[in-house]
Amino acid sequence: MKKVIMGNHAVSYGVRLARAEVISAYPITPQTQIVEMLSEFCSDGSLNARFIKVESEHSAMAAVVGASSVGARAFTATSSQGLLLMHEMLHWAAGARLPIVLANVNRAVGPGWNVWTDQSDSLAQRDTGWLQLYCESNQEALDTVIQAFKIAETVHLPVMIVLDAFILSHTEEPVDVPAQEEVDAFLPRYETEWRLDPEDPRAFNMLVAPEHYMEMRLQMQQAMGEAKGVVEAVDAEFGARFGRCYGLVEPYRIEGADTVLLTAGATTSTARVVVDALRSEGQNVGLLKQRLFRPYPVAEIRQFLGGVQKVGVIDRNISYGHEGIFAAELKAALYDLPTRPKVYDLVVGLGGRDVTPATIRGIANYVLAHDAPEPEPVWWEVKP
Amino acid sequence: MKSKHSMPKPAAPDAPITFASLAEMPPLPVSLGSTLNNKTGTWRYIRPLYEDKTPPCNHACPAGNDVVRYIGALRDGDVEAAWRILVAENPLPGVCGRVCPHPCEHECNRGEFGGAIVIHAIERFLADEAAAHGWAVERSQARHPEHVAIVGSGPAGLSCAYHLARLGYQPTVYEAQAQPGGLLRYGIPGYRLPKDVLDREIAAIERLGVRFALNQRLGDNLGWPALAAADAVFLATGQGLSRPLRIPGEGLAGVISGLELLRRVACGQRVEPGAQAIVIGGGNTAIDAARTAARLGATVTLVYRRTQAEMPAIPAEVAEARAEGISFRFLAAPIEVLDDAGRVHGVRFQQMRLGEPDASGRARPEPVPGEEFTLPADTLIVAAGQEIDGSPLCGSGIGIERGRILAGDAAQTGVPRVFAGGDAATGEGTVAQAIGSGKRAALAIDRFLRTGSFEGLPPAAAGAVHAVERRATSVVVRAASLNADYIAPAPAPQMAGWVPMQIKGDFAEVNPGLSPAAAASEAARCISCGTCIACDTCLIFCPDVAIARAEGGRYTIAYDYCKGCGICATECPRAAMRMEEEGQ
Repeated sequence: MKKVIMGNHAVSYGVRLARAEVISAYPITPQTQIVEMLSEFCSDGSLNARFIKVESEHSAMAAVVGASSVGARAFTATSSQGLLLMHEMLHWAAGARLPIVLANVNRAVGPGWNVWTDQSDSLAQRDTGWLQLYCESNQEALDTVIQAFKIAETVHLPVMIVLDAFILSHTEEPVDVPAQEEVDAFLPRYETEWRLDPEDPRAFNMLVAPEHYMEMRLQMQQAMGEAKGVVEAVDAEFGARFGRCYGLVEPYRIEGADTVLLTAGATTSTARVVVDALRSEGQNVGLLKQRLFRPYPVAEIRQFLGGVQKVGVIDRNISYGHEGIFAAELKAALYDLPTRPKVYDLVVGLGGRDVTPATIRGIANYVLAHDAPEPEPVWWEVKP
Repeated sequence: MKSKHSMPKPAAPDAPITFASLAEMPPLPVSLGSTLNNKTGTWRYIRPLYEDKTPPCNHACPAGNDVVRYIGALRDGDVEAAWRILVAENPLPGVCGRVCPHPCEHECNRGEFGGAIVIHAIERFLADEAAAHGWAVERSQARHPEHVAIVGSGPAGLSCAYHLARLGYQPTVYEAQAQPGGLLRYGIPGYRLPKDVLDREIAAIERLGVRFALNQRLGDNLGWPALAAADAVFLATGQGLSRPLRIPGEGLAGVISGLELLRRVACGQRVEPGAQAIVIGGGNTAIDAARTAARLGATVTLVYRRTQAEMPAIPAEVAEARAEGISFRFLAAPIEVLDDAGRVHGVRFQQMRLGEPDASGRARPEPVPGEEFTLPADTLIVAAGQEIDGSPLCGSGIGIERGRILAGDAAQTGVPRVFAGGDAATGEGTVAQAIGSGKRAALAIDRFLRTGSFEGLPPAAAGAVHAVERRATSVVVRAASLNADYIAPAPAPQMAGWVPMQIKGDFAEVNPGLSPAAAASEAARCISCGTCIACDTCLIFCPDVAIARAEGGRYTIAYDYCKGCGICATECPRAAMRMEEEGQ
């Protein structure tokens, strides 16, 4: 059934369709509407879940860690400082191999205080052992929540789905909300032997000596490696059932392109418009949307970008003292190729500064006009 | 989704853990053996115990009501069970729910969290529900042959008779008046206590096999020889004499005691107070007499020798009297009743002021020299205290000291087999105190008749006696002991207020009761201080999963695993747990 809903509520519907059993969250703009609607679903009985109120995001993650540890399907949502406060528990969730799903609404980090979108919060959690999937639309947000539970429960790693503050979270779009029976057929109830059980009490997550610790970390790395195939397979199955799939990355008008823009999140849809315009003007410019960030889709990146001349990376983030994180990751992924494109890193739209078609067109023109990238990232459209 | 991983096979507790390959390793840190092998209880040096304590309401109730339990049953939705818990201790809940000054509510810990529970209104609700449904108290299966004579059918006598009947006796209650009830019938006006409420509660006592012998006045047509035939006698004759003012003119026509005025009105006799009535006194009888005189058409002034703060009367009733138009004049003592052809036409007063506290702790009133005044009066109602009529006891050997029959902790007098209670033995008190006193006597008489001694009867200093044994300790739970994190502030219900429209001739009941919905929501506000209600907080918090539910809403603690961390006892919202040092 089609509904015109905001991205936050698309996530809420996705969580309800996934039949999450425990939800714990602490309110933070611009995420709050997600769990607000979920609390209403819990209250009106349309979602049979326990909603646990907590005093902080750290506790919210701790609560879903507990819930997931007894085998419940658990969900939380947060943003910005809230995600940062969860950091320790994010490691815990991954190390305990719990299939928790978290929706993070990308929001800049303060100070200066700022509620608008950029990718600093989620990218700061890059190394926590969570899968990360960046969504372009409200529909994709709903669909990715459902996929995320299936992926997480298959590989025993937690999944973070990411959507842009306000541009998706508070903007209404037509969204197809699938029927519950169809989602039930796609995503059966979570069952695991790996759970706290008073009938068979075991100690969980206790001390592991150097003798075994490294192997446990290797197991996580292997699970991440496995996850790539699982994300792909789950997406394909979802596509077969619901007619929508997204891939790990999505090439757009990339055939014969010399120059490709790399985007993640809602900026992608803006970039599509610009690429269409450039193509109609005869420019060989294409677009690659990076949906999966962790595990990093090295093979797919190389497949689509290995043969082009230039890549312009739209980084809505900055790793202070180095460069934009998508650019840095891309360069590392391409490094071993015998020939590789030049990578232009554009730091754009921090703290919710608008990234308009004109912005992206300017970036494309910049990349086309320059034979070599600057040694430092280019801070796009900043005051002199 | 079905997880592909399965749990590792349990290993022997002491087997060394080594994995030769990743494939052998579980993907997360998990013990191979059961944690049941790890008896964490050996770490413990203090242990948690479930221990109900006395809630302040129960502690404050002179009748010994188990307030917390009957409200608990009401909260659970079982109104009849709640009523049965109530009447196991108190035969007169309809009376108490209306006239008791509810010391329970003054102590109620809810007072710190939005307002005390309106316990009296719940009590009355239960009594009225029982009457509406026809629920009846059952008699004991036991049948004891001993005969007990009870003198006086006020609240103490009725309570003693009721509890003896429930214990298997068939006592006889002797009453001087034409109908049973004593002060409840003849001293408390109908607008506070409708007679049908009293009648139905006395009828319920009669149905238990209690015999009432009416118009039998001790020292008149009821003599000691008749009582001597009984195996035990309980004297609950009350304080039937009004204390005189001992001032000139007290014998004039138009001077009447408050007790007598109330008795005449209760008997349906014609009383005409005239246009102006003055009431002397500051106790409940004074207030009742003043409000009754107002209903008979008089303009009433109540004169008290101290100030309102020192009035022994129930403050709520003082406020109601004020709302009904009664005037109050404080710090004045009558010195002469003015005579107009043998009839009162005014009272001369001495102005007083407050001096040093007296034996009662209240400031002693003392005259202001030279300051006197006169008030006109058609009727002077004297309600300046009551005392017992000791004359029938002359020669009985029963001791009387300072206006009270001397009685011990078991209500025993100096004469074997003779017991005494109620106002006659304890001094002027409340209905609830009289009920508690009668119950104490009943339990003492039963013990005496069954075992020949009073052994095991709790001392009077320990508070009211209980007909039903309690598991609570005597420690009283105060608000500071509760876990406030679990107690959401919630306001007390607004009791529908009664507005005095027309006082004259209006003897209808003044205070409304609670609706079933209001009673239920009020029960839900009760914190159940010191009383385990199986809320599962301890079980949820126990980090060792050592607490399990047991029969009858109780819990067990697996001490093999309880580390003695104390979280359960700390979290318990209502202080129904305790930590005890090991080896104590």
